[in-house]
Amino acid sequence: MDESDVADLPLGLLSRRSLLRRAAMAGAGLPAAGALLAACGGSSNSGGSSASGGSGKAAANGGPSTGTIVLNNYPDWIGPKEVPTFESEHPGATVKVVTNATSSSAEVVLAFKSGNYDFLLADTSDAGQASQAGVLQDLDFSKIPNIANVNPSFRKSYPWGIPTDYGKVGIGYRPDIVKEKITSWHDVWRLAPKFSGQVVFIDLERDCMGSALKYLGYSSNTTDPKALEACKNAMTSIKPHLKAFLNTNVGQGLVNGTTAIAMDWDYDVALNKQQQPKIEWVEPSEGVHAYLEGFSAAKSTTHLNLVESFMNFLLEPKQYAQFVNATGTAYLVPKATPFIKKSIAKSPILVPNQSTLAKVEFDHYLGGAGATLWANTWQEIKAA
Amino acid sequence: MLPTGIVTLACFLAPLALILVYSFGSENLVSFNVNFGWTTANYTAFGSSLYLDTLLRSVALSVGTTLACAVLGLTLAYFISRQGLRTQRLLLAAVIIPFWTSFIVRTYSWVDILQNDGPLDRLAHAIGLVGSGSHIDLLYTPASIGIGMVYSYLPLMILPIYVSLERIDPAIYNAGADLGATPWRQFRRIVLPLAKPGLIAGSIIVGVPAMGEFVIPEILGGGKTLMVGNIIANQFQETGNYPFGSALAVALMVAMIVVLFILRRAQSSAVVV
Repeated sequence: MDESDVADLPLGLLSRRSLLRRAAMAGAGLPAAGALLAACGGSSNSGGSSASGGSGKAAANGGPSTGTIVLNNYPDWIGPKEVPTFESEHPGATVKVVTNATSSSAEVVLAFKSGNYDFLLADTSDAGQASQAGVLQDLDFSKIPNIANVNPSFRKSYPWGIPTDYGKVGIGYRPDIVKEKITSWHDVWRLAPKFSGQVVFIDLERDCMGSALKYLGYSSNTTDPKALEACKNAMTSIKPHLKAFLNTNVGQGLVNGTTAIAMDWDYDVALNKQQQPKIEWVEPSEGVHAYLEGFSAAKSTTHLNLVESFMNFLLEPKQYAQFVNATGTAYLVPKATPFIKKSIAKSPILVPNQSTLAKVEFDHYLGGAGATLWANTWQEIKAA
Repeated sequence: MLPTGIVTLACFLAPLALILVYSFGSENLVSFNVNFGWTTANYTAFGSSLYLDTLLRSVALSVGTTLACAVLGLTLAYFISRQGLRTQRLLLAAVIIPFWTSFIVRTYSWVDILQNDGPLDRLAHAIGLVGSGSHIDLLYTPASIGIGMVYSYLPLMILPIYVSLERIDPAIYNAGADLGATPWRQFRRIVLPLAKPGLIAGSIIVGVPAMGEFVIPEILGGGKTLMVGNIIANQFQETGNYPFGSALAVALMVAMIVVLFILRRAQSSAVVV
């Protein structure tokens, strides 16, 4: 990968994205207050207008859409002009964005239940659980024709709403330090004793255990107790060699060389490669665990028409490109490519391609018993 | 009297009662609907070694932090109390001012200080403590957790001890010296006994929150050390199992009450002395 390819990645927003993937610390001083904060706090982004961009307003929803819809979203996880443009093109429509900093399924599902939001950002695991809990509103996709712009594999994996972005869990490493090529999780487990104290893993059970399960040859969504026991053993065997489990700035040590090998997200490696071109990204040969996020409507919404209209707007290639350019995420609307910064569109780390997608297994909702088993196994790993 | 009672009831007793009620409930972990049927399953669940070991680890961290803060706090409070009034105010301001910054921000600042190639690492290289090509390797170790804990809680120990020492009439020191007591003997026979109420109060203020601490171990320990606070936070924030989280919180609260009861008795005897 050429260094210039990543030169203009949105550094600050990627850092924030990294923070949000595991925002336990943000709420650490206020246990159990996350849902309340999500409901009461946050920033509002409404009003204003912009003449930039175009949209097929009300093209597919067959009638006027007015009123106020409330979106629960990560901070700045939307293009800067998307809301103003939509509002200027839909007189009488207001989109209020309430920011939230959690990746906890419990808080997301409770937010769906709260009645405070019309639609929410939720990953496949959260949306899957919300669906089972009966708090999701089915969408009329005939009113969201731009869903056709989304790569079909993502639509299949995110059937509850509109998928927006995804992130892969792979390996970032420094070949100049490791002195050999890494291609798999097996390489990581094999090399960890040699680079003891220079290896970091992600501090998020779905991504960390999911990748360990890939290493062992299992599905990263298995709830088989034997597989999870094997996962625990694999994790406890490598734990003494880990420098840390990190939830923010996971690959930062790769930049100055204090970390030789990192289990990391694709966007974080792309970000750090801006500062240190020697960093290499690996999609492990055993398979890649990944998350997939999107917007889903809450059962309680009384403005479904407007929600669907806004979702359709968001999937217009130009609007979607604005979102990608603002966040630097891996994208899933191929038609948006001409409008996306070259640094992102040409990044071999971030760009979706068929060989990459063939290796990817997205988070699934594990079920109540499965999620508890995972949580307990993760605690045992952390306590070991 | 009535407004005070209402505030106490609404802000302290009612939340505690709610946690207690939740701790005997059960929850559907798909819909997160809580059933307030009477079950002790949550309490029997944490009889496993995972939870007991974690509780013991938290107790050890709390005791270690309290002892370290007591030693440093007593030394610093004594030093401050022996200065002139103007210097005392300046030094007390220096102790208090860091509290104006967010706890999370202060803790994260230690990541920058302790990391390799950070200020401490560069200082160690500059004075020859660490050779070239090596690093202090402090971050994400138990030592970094200890540094962060003591740094965060030390002011809470200094202030009550200072209040105890500041009340000592300087004439008592003079009397001790006139009677031939060495500085060490003065410290042992005058300062320590008179500082005891402050020490005990400081130990309570430091020890209780330190027992439930999980932010510092998470940030400075690299997430490799599980504390009882982590488990409770995870139950509420991640798993969403409020009844089990409540049961763990009640268990921690009971452990703290026992410790407080013991300290209270010690404090009473200290006041009598």
